[in-house]
Amino acid sequence: MKSIRFSRSPLLSQPLPVWRRRVVLFFILGGFLVLIGRAFYLQGINNEFLGDKGKERFERVLDISATRGRITDRHGDLLAVSTPVRSVWAIPEDAELKPREARSLAALLGIDVRELNRKLSSDHDFIYLKRQLSPDVTDKVMALNLPGIHQKTEYRRYYPSGEVMAHMVGFTGVDESGQEGVELAFNDKLTGKSGSRRVIKDRRGNVVEDVGSIHPPTEGQDVALALDAKIQYLAYTHLKQALEIHRAKAGGVVVLDTQSGEVLALVNLPTYNPNNRVRLIGEQLRNRALTDSFEPGSTLKPFTIGLALEEGKVNADTPIQTAPGKFHIGPATISDSHAHGILTVAQVIQKSSNVGAAKIALSMTPDDMHAMFEAAGFGAPLKLGFPGEVGGHLRPAKTWRPIEQATMSYGHGISVTLIQLARSYLAFARDGDLPALSLMKQETPLASGSRLFSEKTAQVVRAMLETVVQPGGTAPLAHIPGYRVAGKTGTAHKVENGRYANKYVASFVGFAPVSKPRLVIAVMVDEPSNGKYYGGEVAAPVFAQVMAGSLRTLGVASDAPLTPLAPLPTDSESVREEM
Amino acid sequence: MNNWNAVARPANSEIDPLLLWPAMGLLFCGLVMVYSASIAMAEGSRFTGNQSAYFLMRHGIYLVIGLAAAAAAFQVPMRLWQQVSCWLFVAGFVLLIVVLIPHLGRSVNGAQRWIGFGPVNLQPSEFMKLFAVLYAADYTTRKLSDMASFSRGFVPMAGVMVLVGALLLREPDFGAFVVIVSIAVGILFLGGINARLFSALLVVMAVAFVILIWSSPYRRERIFGFMDPWQDAYGKGYQLSHALIAFGRGEWFGVGLGASVEKLFYLPEAHTDFLLAVIAEELGLFGVCAVIALFALLVERAFAVGRQALTLDRVYSGLVAQGIGIWLGVQGFINMGVNMGLLPTKGLTLPLMSFGGSGIVANCITLAILFRVDWENRQLMKGQSV
Repeated sequence: MKSIRFSRSPLLSQPLPVWRRRVVLFFILGGFLVLIGRAFYLQGINNEFLGDKGKERFERVLDISATRGRITDRHGDLLAVSTPVRSVWAIPEDAELKPREARSLAALLGIDVRELNRKLSSDHDFIYLKRQLSPDVTDKVMALNLPGIHQKTEYRRYYPSGEVMAHMVGFTGVDESGQEGVELAFNDKLTGKSGSRRVIKDRRGNVVEDVGSIHPPTEGQDVALALDAKIQYLAYTHLKQALEIHRAKAGGVVVLDTQSGEVLALVNLPTYNPNNRVRLIGEQLRNRALTDSFEPGSTLKPFTIGLALEEGKVNADTPIQTAPGKFHIGPATISDSHAHGILTVAQVIQKSSNVGAAKIALSMTPDDMHAMFEAAGFGAPLKLGFPGEVGGHLRPAKTWRPIEQATMSYGHGISVTLIQLARSYLAFARDGDLPALSLMKQETPLASGSRLFSEKTAQVVRAMLETVVQPGGTAPLAHIPGYRVAGKTGTAHKVENGRYANKYVASFVGFAPVSKPRLVIAVMVDEPSNGKYYGGEVAAPVFAQVMAGSLRTLGVASDAPLTPLAPLPTDSESVREEM
Repeated sequence: MNNWNAVARPANSEIDPLLLWPAMGLLFCGLVMVYSASIAMAEGSRFTGNQSAYFLMRHGIYLVIGLAAAAAAFQVPMRLWQQVSCWLFVAGFVLLIVVLIPHLGRSVNGAQRWIGFGPVNLQPSEFMKLFAVLYAADYTTRKLSDMASFSRGFVPMAGVMVLVGALLLREPDFGAFVVIVSIAVGILFLGGINARLFSALLVVMAVAFVILIWSSPYRRERIFGFMDPWQDAYGKGYQLSHALIAFGRGEWFGVGLGASVEKLFYLPEAHTDFLLAVIAEELGLFGVCAVIALFALLVERAFAVGRQALTLDRVYSGLVAQGIGIWLGVQGFINMGVNMGLLPTKGLTLPLMSFGGSGIVANCITLAILFRVDWENRQLMKGQSV
């Protein structure tokens, strides 16, 4: 191309039109003015609307979680405490991992890589990859420096006493809300109230800054249970041994403080480890002492006798003919496992005669017996505030036929929970007064409850119950050196499909020291299957071990010489009882 | 034709400070704001190796290269520029073809605008804007006497623009197309193209545009959808709604340098096409007005330099200077208008400020040519030859 020298061009005589430059410049500078106007509108006039739109997108109200209260035993030993853990979460949209990165992440989190990829391909904005990890693991995850992968601190409940306390304390779910036990029953108190803060977040979910004031959380309150960890541990250990020895299916122990009505121990087996609830089955989960009722058997006889004494039908020495060990009511027959002949009322208790109890029961009206059972706390839940608590089964008096009234006198045709049974014996230990129970530690002394028996009746029955653990009674194995012990055995035949099967529930309920009762302990062993099944053989030893250990722990003064019981007769007849 | 600028300027000054300082100000502001806008994104991205200064480093290197290229370009006499302008335009045209060849052209977000040379990506359309200025000025200078003629003055340039437009729209790079057409039409207009022809052309284009839009609700929605970004604020209006929120949050004096929230992954392209939104949020209306004022000053000075060249009978230089003014003005206006929701989103950077290697280098060379025109003016006024 040839260059043209314009300085010599003839065209220069015609300069380019000046107005055109002005027009172009006018439009461009005018455009800039429009921009300034628009910016003024956006930043000076419409800024509030736009600011609100911005808040919608970046501002979030975050919960500041309240620390969940601790659960302790009566002495302040920790039973449940929240410990910090970390959770790893992701924004799937941001998380574009190479296959190698996905593999190492999955390995650290302990999940399958396909599972990880499935989570990361979801269309949620936020997804947990794995929760409740230890800080070392999440530190390693964060060190991978992967896009869209984040962590946050949460709390995890830790139960230092593990399976020993499991049924009482219960546990929380992954969001720290109570699922079972005290954790559920007192969830509101333990949870507290979470606070909040308003923050600006970047699009990846990181908090950039706080805006406005922070509302601090109200921390959850601690709950102090009435439980005594030492007594609970004793009960757990001895019950566990007994279940192993007798190859029993299940069992329970309840320890009550007679002075305060506090539940000092409550153990069920089988149990579970609340810190590791993988492979947890319903069997382990049930707090049987509160949620399962069973036919208590002879442990109810003292109530029948107590009512008969109260109504003046009999006294302790009234002779009852129990020969020939059978008693016909219509087509049905009540039998003792051993025929005894004439027994005093006290001996009916000591030897646990079904015939004797039935004959005494039939001297009273169904209404009176029903009223007494009801007053003893049977047939309705105790309302301890515990989840899943049941009341057992007590049929209305007007439906009772004589045979039913007779069997109920020795604890068949009626069902109770172990805790109801334990509580009812407080009436004998407290001279007829039956107080409410408490799962919580009580600061104020107990007000008296309702009166079940007169003081005299209670004392007379107490004396009868003391003979049960003496030679000639059904439970000499419940004897404790150094303390006077009273109690009653029970051996109930289990009903399966409407008939009595060859399976038993062995139980023993008693209290000590008799001179000034301090503890009531009820022991129940379900389906002992290693030959022995009588309450006196299976449940009474557990009672004795737990009672002896607990009284020592509490420093209760002894009220009997420290002599062991006379050697047991080899003939097992003396420990037999009726069913 | 005398004017006050020529008189007011000290004759012994080599470089116009009113041209130098706005240009340097915009370049420097751009560097700072590119860093601010990209810092979080660079730190949080695997692509950048999580280096927060990734974009700062690159933008700085581009600036150094650009300034070196500018120093070299400044040494080139305008006469030489005019001689090679046709060839430069042809070279640019070839590059626009190369960029469309599979494997040679690189594609980002569905737009094939880059040619890869190892680690460096060249964006031909950025240089094509400069070549278009040089070419249109040369074309107009050569055909000054034919400017009144439709067939000899207008049609050849229109044909060239159709070819270039077809290539640009293939990428697609609609923004560059608009800028290059504006440059060509603007220079033709300044060069004296028949006014009636020009007005008729404008009217025909406007009518055709209106008919096209109103005949199809779909197209209408496509074009005017940007006017109400809140209708689909999390979909099509996502980017614009975040840009507008950035403006609104900035208010008078901004939230402070570095304190933008929008740049924290909300606003896409914060360091390139939407840099002004970050400026608006961090520096407020004050910052936005400062940027607009610097651009206005630059455009005004470019026109003044051009005017002065024309008074010195240097038509080519004058048209180049004014063409540069048109380019910076139009592209700046479109980019800022897009940021503020006045214009539909069309992938154009803010000249001299936004991140982008080809853009920055091309902009620096462009400024050097403007300074060259000014310098030659001064030499001539001092009676020296150039």
